[in-house]
Amino acid sequence: MPTFKLDDKTIPFEPGDTIIQAAHKQGIEIPHYCWHPGLSIAANCRMCLVEILPAKDQRPLTLDILEWDPVAKDYRAVKKPKLQPACQFAATENMEVLSDLSDHVKKARAAVQEFLLLNHPVDCPICDQAGECKLQDYWLEHQKTQKRMLDEPVHKPKAVSFGPTIVYDAERCVMCTRCIRFFDEVAHDPVLDMRERGNLNEIFVAPGRQLDNKYTYMADWVCPVGALTTKDFRFKARVWFLRSVKSVCQGCATGCNTYLDYDSRFNRTYRYRPRENEAVNKYWMCDDGMVSYKAAHEDRVLEPRVEGKTSSLGVALEAAKKKLDGVPRDSIAIVYSAQHSLEDNWALRELGKTLIETDRAFWSGAPDGYEDKILIHKDKNPNTAGVKQLVESAKPFSALVEGLASGAIKHVIALGGATPSTKEEADAAATALGKAETINTNPTHHGALTQAAAIVLPASSWAEASGTYVNFKGIRQQSDKAIESQGSSKPAWQQIGLLARALGYEASWTKLRDIRTRLSGLGEGNAPVHTTITDPHSTEAP
Amino acid sequence: MIKYTNYLTTTYGQPEGWKLPAYEKLCHGYDTARKVLTTMTREAVVDEAKKANLRGRGGAGFPMGVKWSFMRPHPTKPAYLVVNADEGEPGTHKDRTIMEKNPHSVVEGCLIACYGIGAHVAYIYVRDELHLAKRRLEEAIAEARARGFVGKTPFGSSYPVEVYVHTGAGAYICGEETSMLNSLEGKRGEPRLKPPFPAQAGSFGCPTTVNNLETIAAVPTMFNLGCDAFSKMSALHDMKDGGVRLFGVNGHVKKPQIIELAVGVTIREMIYDIGGGVLGDKDVLAVIPGGSSTPILRPQETVHAPDEKNPMHPWHGKSVFDVPLGVDTMRGVGTMLGTCCVTVMAEGTDPVLAFQNLMQFYKHESCGQCTPCREGSGWLDRTLKKILAGKASMKELDDLSDIASNIMGNTICAFGEGTAMPAMGFLQKFRPELEAYVRGEKKGKDARLTVSFEASEQAAE
Repeated sequence: MPTFKLDDKTIPFEPGDTIIQAAHKQGIEIPHYCWHPGLSIAANCRMCLVEILPAKDQRPLTLDILEWDPVAKDYRAVKKPKLQPACQFAATENMEVLSDLSDHVKKARAAVQEFLLLNHPVDCPICDQAGECKLQDYWLEHQKTQKRMLDEPVHKPKAVSFGPTIVYDAERCVMCTRCIRFFDEVAHDPVLDMRERGNLNEIFVAPGRQLDNKYTYMADWVCPVGALTTKDFRFKARVWFLRSVKSVCQGCATGCNTYLDYDSRFNRTYRYRPRENEAVNKYWMCDDGMVSYKAAHEDRVLEPRVEGKTSSLGVALEAAKKKLDGVPRDSIAIVYSAQHSLEDNWALRELGKTLIETDRAFWSGAPDGYEDKILIHKDKNPNTAGVKQLVESAKPFSALVEGLASGAIKHVIALGGATPSTKEEADAAATALGKAETINTNPTHHGALTQAAAIVLPASSWAEASGTYVNFKGIRQQSDKAIESQGSSKPAWQQIGLLARALGYEASWTKLRDIRTRLSGLGEGNAPVHTTITDPHSTEAP
Repeated sequence: MIKYTNYLTTTYGQPEGWKLPAYEKLCHGYDTARKVLTTMTREAVVDEAKKANLRGRGGAGFPMGVKWSFMRPHPTKPAYLVVNADEGEPGTHKDRTIMEKNPHSVVEGCLIACYGIGAHVAYIYVRDELHLAKRRLEEAIAEARARGFVGKTPFGSSYPVEVYVHTGAGAYICGEETSMLNSLEGKRGEPRLKPPFPAQAGSFGCPTTVNNLETIAAVPTMFNLGCDAFSKMSALHDMKDGGVRLFGVNGHVKKPQIIELAVGVTIREMIYDIGGGVLGDKDVLAVIPGGSSTPILRPQETVHAPDEKNPMHPWHGKSVFDVPLGVDTMRGVGTMLGTCCVTVMAEGTDPVLAFQNLMQFYKHESCGQCTPCREGSGWLDRTLKKILAGKASMKELDDLSDIASNIMGNTICAFGEGTAMPAMGFLQKFRPELEAYVRGEKKGKDARLTVSFEASEQAAE
């Protein structure tokens, strides 16, 4: 691979890479606002200017500038090299680039910083971006001087509603055009553009439109400053109080990589942030996914229930034992859940196949929905592929409904609360589930199964437990625990262990590690395993 | 050295000089284009054009023939000629006269240039405000089309050429070639990143040559005289700055005008011989040699080139006003030739107000795409307004050079330099005047850009 020199480091590059790209791949960041690895090159912020040393036989390209000499009381004509934007300039073999080591580059960066902050309101105390704002970070790294212009800055529109989700502040905007390029190039809905000119420039929504496509939240995330913020997160939290874990979106089978930001003081999730993974979601997420962090707190089942009445865990387990003791194993159906992790489903398989020894396996999940060609998959479950890898023989939920209707199945041990169906199917399912003598389920959320269940053992949601999910491409990804389990919920694999013991079996797992070891061989040979490629630069945890 | 010529301006002042009959009678009609399209090969056209040493008339002074030679036939994409007639540089008003008074030279130039660069379509991008110019161009194209000069088979050749007039929407930045291409395509007029250069990917992503309108208008003359002979009319032929061009003089002179001369005239000749001297016979305060982006020159400046190898050596020790106006000679005295339209300021003009006036223009016209230009031009203007209002501190005056230096070279297009260079010129040459404002010795309300010239008026009467 050819290489070039960046300061004192040797950087390999693929032909066609720009300097900033090649450096980015090596984990070296050249400061930038407008450049984004997933968008076209705009080279308008001029923050990434670097000095390219002339080759041996080349004359240096210099510019005449003027310096005021306060001692001599006169101007001094000096020369400076022509700097080049690293985001635009292609890397070439043996090229020598100065970034942090060049005084000219340092001066140019400080100057660009100063220019960007010239008419900026510097309203960090009331700005949601504060704490994760590039203007703040780069001020500290590259400027650190006070503002020289002390007059009233240029005023522009503030708190402009761009649509149902996004608010725009033109005074904070650095005109990097990332948002414009994102909606044009990635979302394929060129709804934003720039109007006016010079320092009156502002981003606007196409006349007659709103920013209302399926990817509006990305406006916030491509924006390097506080110009675009989401109505959802505005004024909700200061980011330095939030903690982050690497999570996987539960919204569909794409399995977008995210950071789940939460406040441990209140045990609450606050938002998702897209996490870079070239193989899955690149740098993006859809709106439905972005708001699905709320599922950790909405519509949850948090207490054990017996026959519709809230009870203690001990009472519920006792009731399960009473109901299931001695029933023919053929009449017991095991229902896996595409909404649950591999670990939870593995525990259920241990209970069903190894201990109870029933062959009646089904799976449930959320119904199919909207899909597009960008990120959104029609399968609204995060782990359908995982369940299919784990229990190849699992039949769809409709087969369970038939089994229940015919009376062949009388008892159900299930994971999850949702059912995949249309309105008619939902009614059929409800009738069929009503015929069952016992339904024992471990749901995180309310749903048809939860509704019909005689015994409910509440399970922790993905936000409260570490779990592994297999997306539709067969990529296995781990989602980490953020908040503590709420109410009396426990991770489903733990609940199932307790149920197994209550039913008199010897459950072989007590720790997550036990399950992970046993799962390690699963899916190998037919799919890539655990390829979470994360990038520490673009979407790092605060 | 003044050498009057009359090629581009033959039809100027003639009755209906903008119409085809006048053009045929006075300017060889379309004979040159006929000869080129029917007897020469494409390569021969480019080789011949190179000999003319015609430096682009738009301001950058890039050799036209060399630019044409960058055009390589693309396997699938067509090529385009785009003619830059978005003349908006303050102090520049030459292209407009050609469009209004000799539009057929432009159309004929388009035919030859299209043939030379392998294009079949030429777009003439005209500044919106030039209504007469647009009408005359359109009429000329219609006349040429009616005669079969423009269209499917010009002069019976099998080389179709179409010429279209496209109107801008009134933005100075659209005179920048890539910005113009964006505007031509219906996009926001913002300069593009280079590379790729227009010759690789220009209008609609296709190979494109962008030439100034005067450059194109000179093409028929060039080919009619023979390109080498054309070049040799210039006193700066040896510096590869050939031919004849339109010179303009404006500002505080008695006879502001546009005139065709061979390259080689000096600023002093422009002021006193062409311009008829300064209004009221005052002294010259300063001169902007070729449009507002070119740094200002003062009469007391002299050329310093003691080294005999220095191309500026012949003028060593002389006043900058006695150096011929050429692309490289003006660069040699620290400014630019630009568009060759000399703006004269008489003694009594307030240079600080002139400076602020220019910076207000650049602030207003900055497209705002890249940071240094967007914010820097506004900052310069704001500080100068404060200086004029007597509200600025000496520190703020000191900062001006730093702001300009921080814009210089750090922008996407040359607009940044176009702002910073004149700013640095004014700062360097008019520091005492600026300080006088800061100290409160002068007041903005007394500042004037016009000078009183009753004396000369009386003399003229």
